[in-house]
Amino acid sequence: MRQFTSTVLFFVFLFGQESMADRPNPCEDPLLNLAEKKGIKAIPIKDIPRFRKLMKACEDKGGYKVIEKIVHKDWQRDYKKAKTMASFTPTFSVIVFLVMIYYFIGLAIATK
Amino acid sequence: MKSQILRFFLSLFLFWGSFSLAQPKISVGLGLGLYEPTLSGFDENSDVKFPTGNMLNRNFLFNWAVYYEFFSNARLGYNSYSSFEVGKLDLINSKAVYRRTIIYRMFPLETYFRWKPRIELNFTLTPIWGRGRIFVDTTPGDKSEDWNQLINSFGDSKPVSDLGATDAMTNDWIGFSGMIGIRYYLSTRIGLDMKMGFMDNSYKNEKWRLQKKEVTGPKMKIDELPLFSFKVFYGFK
Repeated sequence: MRQFTSTVLFFVFLFGQESMADRPNPCEDPLLNLAEKKGIKAIPIKDIPRFRKLMKACEDKGGYKVIEKIVHKDWQRDYKKAKTMASFTPTFSVIVFLVMIYYFIGLAIATK
Repeated sequence: MKSQILRFFLSLFLFWGSFSLAQPKISVGLGLGLYEPTLSGFDENSDVKFPTGNMLNRNFLFNWAVYYEFFSNARLGYNSYSSFEVGKLDLINSKAVYRRTIIYRMFPLETYFRWKPRIELNFTLTPIWGRGRIFVDTTPGDKSEDWNQLINSFGDSKPVSDLGATDAMTNDWIGFSGMIGIRYYLSTRIGLDMKMGFMDNSYKNEKWRLQKKEVTGPKMKIDELPLFSFKVFYGFK
């Protein structure tokens, strides 16, 4: 088992050493494209540190507007998706609201 | 060995697979709750003097939560509010270490909408599975003698004394809670969440259990309680 784990770790480190220096332009990295097209939260958890480095590298190379666009699109995507309630959710919200009102009126009457 | 390799591949598949194959919609939160229960069984107990109640062990609830967004405006999750107390009790035979926990486990269904790009309003209804536990370290009389007999049989000649034993009495109850909240997003992943609402617990002090025997526990008024919470959320979604 120890040999197996060592072999796995060896290959993880071996292929994990991909340098960003040999990439021509960090702003054209597929990870930034993915963030732009599908949102920042579409980036796999394991790629978040690399994504942050890419964002910084892109900004350093003058791609400030590219990063700003990605972040702005992400905000707008979340907002559009959640600004109107659909299906059962408005009914549920009204029920919660009424339950709350019923409780606090009851509490106010009980404490008088 | 074979099973360890299988377990390794299974965990590899579950951990990396879930995050890389699909967009996860999970968020976790950490924070504090605030409520005002009346724990008269502890505070007004004239026979046993319990540690003095303060804001930390009476009114604050340590809170963590995990949510899964199963619909564009709705989340399901697990939310745990815990109250702790630690101290010493002056009992007849010993100065026993005492710990008390009250945990309100919630399974919330939360709907929400974005009022502004950074501001979200949310509505929560949840059943509660509450659990109270009281741990006391006591020093039973025969305990040291029995242990001494055992360790002497292994060749140890130094006798041990004043050995303690921990027992716990437990009570479970159900309840429900409703809350309305507002969440402010600092970034697309991180949000500050404030909620206000109430919780109602059907706690009965005659329903405690100590080593499978039913016993009477402390009187606590934890029904119809206003509840406030403040959490920091991190969204993996």
